[in-house]
Amino acid sequence: MEIPYVVTPRKDTGLFNAKIAIWLFLASEVMLFGGFFSAYVFLRLGADYPWPERTLPVLPGLINTFVLIFSSITVVFAWASLKLRNWKRFQLFMGITVFCAVIFMVLKGLEYNVKFHHQALRMKDYTVIEGHLGVEKELDHRGKTVEENLIFVETSKLTFNIVRFHKPWVEELLSQANHHHSKILLASDVTAITHEGKAPEVVAKAGEALSVDLLNRIQKIHLAARSHNGTYRTAALRQEWVKAHSLYPDKRDWQIAEKVNIDLVALTPRLLSEISNVAFNVEPATKFDFYPRDIKEADGTSTLRDDTVVTGKLLESPMVFHHVDAIDFQHLVMRAEKKGISPKVAIEGSWLMNNSPFVQRAWRWHSLKVEKLKTELALQKREPTHKELYRIGWKDLAQMAEEEGGSKISGTDRLKEEFLGPNYKARGEETFPAFEVPREQVGFAAKFSPAWNTYYAIYFTMTGLHGLHVIGGALVLAYYLFFGKKMYLSNPEWLANRVEIGGLFWHFVDLIWIFVFPILYLM
Amino acid sequence: MADTPEAIKKSVRTYILVGIVLFVGTCLTVAVAEFSWLDFGKHGFDSVDCAIGLGIASVKAGLVAIIFMHLNHEKKAIYWLFGSGLCMVCSLAFLTALAIENPIENKDSKEMFGIK
Repeated sequence: MEIPYVVTPRKDTGLFNAKIAIWLFLASEVMLFGGFFSAYVFLRLGADYPWPERTLPVLPGLINTFVLIFSSITVVFAWASLKLRNWKRFQLFMGITVFCAVIFMVLKGLEYNVKFHHQALRMKDYTVIEGHLGVEKELDHRGKTVEENLIFVETSKLTFNIVRFHKPWVEELLSQANHHHSKILLASDVTAITHEGKAPEVVAKAGEALSVDLLNRIQKIHLAARSHNGTYRTAALRQEWVKAHSLYPDKRDWQIAEKVNIDLVALTPRLLSEISNVAFNVEPATKFDFYPRDIKEADGTSTLRDDTVVTGKLLESPMVFHHVDAIDFQHLVMRAEKKGISPKVAIEGSWLMNNSPFVQRAWRWHSLKVEKLKTELALQKREPTHKELYRIGWKDLAQMAEEEGGSKISGTDRLKEEFLGPNYKARGEETFPAFEVPREQVGFAAKFSPAWNTYYAIYFTMTGLHGLHVIGGALVLAYYLFFGKKMYLSNPEWLANRVEIGGLFWHFVDLIWIFVFPILYLM
Repeated sequence: MADTPEAIKKSVRTYILVGIVLFVGTCLTVAVAEFSWLDFGKHGFDSVDCAIGLGIASVKAGLVAIIFMHLNHEKKAIYWLFGSGLCMVCSLAFLTALAIENPIENKDSKEMFGIK
């Protein structure tokens, strides 16, 4: 069957079909990305924290912009070569276009990789520390190296929520207990009425070892009881409503709602036992470790995200930065100013300033630098930005170390830093020192991922979606490059039209990046 | 849109020229953001920088759409299609802008409800 209007235009639109289709698609894409740009504006204006202005590495972003512009030129050249029936030139230009897409994605991958390994910590007083966490000197119970960011609890008791317990975590607790030669045993007999009108019976005996099967067994009894009781409660309630309606026929539901009450005394003998929590003793009490994202820690009773209660003493669980590469007081100052406290007082009273000689030294150095900047800007009747005043970034720390006679690095290492961030190895411990933050000072910590703040959420959403478009477009263009010869020989105009369609999409991808780059990287 | 070999050969020169303008525009955007002697308005990022940055980006995007995407020689149907997409985005952005105003923090509302 011949497909109509692949080369010749339709009379009504004056266009071949694929062109109408791609423009319809692009119109919908404009709305999709337009929505994200609106979301960006909304998030930025509504942010309750200092928006990270010009925080992304400009050089990789700039190179990516050049790469996309260049590929836009080569894709249009590839189309022109097909129109001029020059297959070799088409191959060359399309090959360059696809190669540009690969470069773009590699640079984007590098940028993402740096972000996903870079740690941020907002302390309780809103000072922000950035850097890299160390790994445990000792391996964990499974022989894996883990970041020095675990929470340790000397656990004596575990109480599981019978509906919400998370099976992998139960297995993890058992594995840890086994490693420490401890046992997790049922604290007391679990008794329940499992059949209507019968006496309570022991469904699990005290001392029984924790297992997922045991929890599943109790959960089954609990859910059966809940279902049974629910049926009775609903039936009783319905009866009460019927009674109330007959007593007050002229009244509306909301007027008689107060008078509708279930007779619990009559109902109770018919109900089964619901077992919502089950407690286990850890014998002997032992040190369990938890990822901070899984536990809400407190001395005495901590709670896991599946509502398991961990009873025991909270042990020292500092967050250990092996390299600190930025200290940011912007958020602290923002909150202090709202309360009418002067930035100087707030910064000098911060926990970090009172507990780290390195931060004190860096702040003194930074203050002198800011004074110089203020003098320079005053000549132009200008003032330093909030960021310049209150953030000591990795480039500042590197400059400080160099000025104080620290190690200088080569030009190649400097260039690498523009892509991969601070080079700890080359610059050494004195530039980016290690630092321990006690757990009680940790407010919120995350990698520079969407979890950290709304800026990174929208950054990853927009660049990720754009990256998917790059991959999709490159795949289509690569298909024409590697599998287009047959069509070129049989119907070159059809292939030229197809390449034009692919090219239109590719230009659109470039067009979006033209806005994404300044908005996310430069503003 | 160029269809004859002569016209295509001629438009290749235009593509190169537009490419150069796009490269220069990108360098200019970065320069405005990075170099203090090109920093207009207040020191650091402000609404003037935003307007300049977005202005350059709009010109660049316009060039890509008009020259590379051949919108300078297209049929009416395409203008309608793409134009309606753009209109929809603008109206959605306008609706978003309406939501930015906080009626509780608004000065008039505060006076009306006696909030200090």
